[in-house]
Amino acid sequence: MSMIDIKVAAVEQVTPLVKHFTFVKRDGSPFPAFSGGSHVVVSMNVGGRVHRNPYSLMGSPADTDAYHISVRKQEQSRGGSVFMHENVEVGTSLQITYPVNLFSLAKKAHKHILIAGGIGITPFMSQLIDLNRLNANFELHYAFRSPEHGAFADKLKAICSDKLHCYADSKGERLDLLALLSKQPLGTHVYVCGPNPMVVAVIETARNLGWPENHIHSEQFLSPGIGEPFKIQLAKSNIEVHVPAEMSMLEAIEAAGVEADYLCRGGVCGRCEVNVLESDGALLHHDHFLTDAEKAAGKKIMPCVSRARCDRLVLDL
Amino acid sequence: MERGYWIRSKPVYTSLLWHEKATSHLVVAQGQGGMAVLKLFQLMHPKQAITVLYTPYAEADYSKTLVKVVPEGLHILEAEQEVLAKLESVLQGMCMGMRLYIAGSEDFMWSVAKVANKFGIEDAGMMKELTGTLARPIYCVHCKATTHGVTTNIGECSGCGRMLFVRDHFSRQLGAYMGLMIDAESPGELPEIEEIYP
Repeated sequence: MSMIDIKVAAVEQVTPLVKHFTFVKRDGSPFPAFSGGSHVVVSMNVGGRVHRNPYSLMGSPADTDAYHISVRKQEQSRGGSVFMHENVEVGTSLQITYPVNLFSLAKKAHKHILIAGGIGITPFMSQLIDLNRLNANFELHYAFRSPEHGAFADKLKAICSDKLHCYADSKGERLDLLALLSKQPLGTHVYVCGPNPMVVAVIETARNLGWPENHIHSEQFLSPGIGEPFKIQLAKSNIEVHVPAEMSMLEAIEAAGVEADYLCRGGVCGRCEVNVLESDGALLHHDHFLTDAEKAAGKKIMPCVSRARCDRLVLDL
Repeated sequence: MERGYWIRSKPVYTSLLWHEKATSHLVVAQGQGGMAVLKLFQLMHPKQAITVLYTPYAEADYSKTLVKVVPEGLHILEAEQEVLAKLESVLQGMCMGMRLYIAGSEDFMWSVAKVANKFGIEDAGMMKELTGTLARPIYCVHCKATTHGVTTNIGECSGCGRMLFVRDHFSRQLGAYMGLMIDAESPGELPEIEEIYP
């Protein structure tokens, strides 16, 4: 996959857990344009091992001089977010992929309800600029642990004015999803990005109120979980690959020198889907992409986040 | 027509069924579509509010039975135009969670869809049952006029008079099938015209 060489131009501590990074191109030329909700995958060399993490682009889509991302330091990090926090500083060189949008705004929507939880605010930062430019009807509902964790709240107030609604858990402020979603005008679309329980709650509430599926949008990049080590056979490459506990199948495949396709690396997009040729145990599907029926059938797996518990697993790679 | 021939844009219609999860229901039907509404009311009644807009068409008039079967929220209207006007005023007060059901000819269903589109209701949010005639609305790709109720494989454009080959290629935006001039290469030479959309 072709990459863009970048250099870190600025680093800012936004909240106790969130750092904001500004990237410029190493050769000084402008970045490709992108649309609100896009993300890039940042490649990091962490002690000889390549980590690739997806992060939403946050700046104005009209600004191609710099790209902006924010990284939350994960408590149970596999190394990527900690590396970004502790090792990346002004001047650091990194590589990123070209932007991809898996969370775009619905062009025909009459109204947009954006719901963010914590670091889930990031994809909305660029979408808000698009919405303002289009003079669109929108509301942003932003929930966070406590005011000190409400990243970019001041900036958001400037962008959204009275369209911004904040909920600080520490102050006992709660977002009442049922009340919010039960009285929206026809043509409204809802978008959610945040922790899993929040994403599930929004999707379920909207569905139960009769919202059509295509009016409900969500984005949640999963980080590949830590699990039991296992072995896989790659049929086309004719090699055996060991997947360590703290490495994803996709990372192990890449480390073995086999080029596998990917886009989001977070179980969302479906690009890395691989056919399972043989397996004698359980596939541990962690993605949001395959349907329940496909997961049960066991013929496909998303190596970016999923794992397996079996003695023999043969992939069509 | 070749067996197995299929065009992705050609709409697939189903039988009307209540959406289990909806906050209100709006049923719009024309002519023979009244039967689809009656069938719908044979199913278990949803608890949420139901509005029915119905207009008889040609010989098909189910008004009398609908009055007996539909408990409340029934509006019998005289013509399609009145249905569309009523629809517009009804939609103004509605919220997300309302589900729309349409039954009638293709012409009628897509006229209703066009009004619903104005309110941000997308194609996937409407349930449609084709009833009565198979007659097609045809969009002339040359002069951009739409000819309604075409029942033959080749039809004359109401705008420019060209003889149009009636295709399965459908535009949801225009609510019509694409028609293109059949004798452009050899003017006046037409295959046999047959009624295939009675």
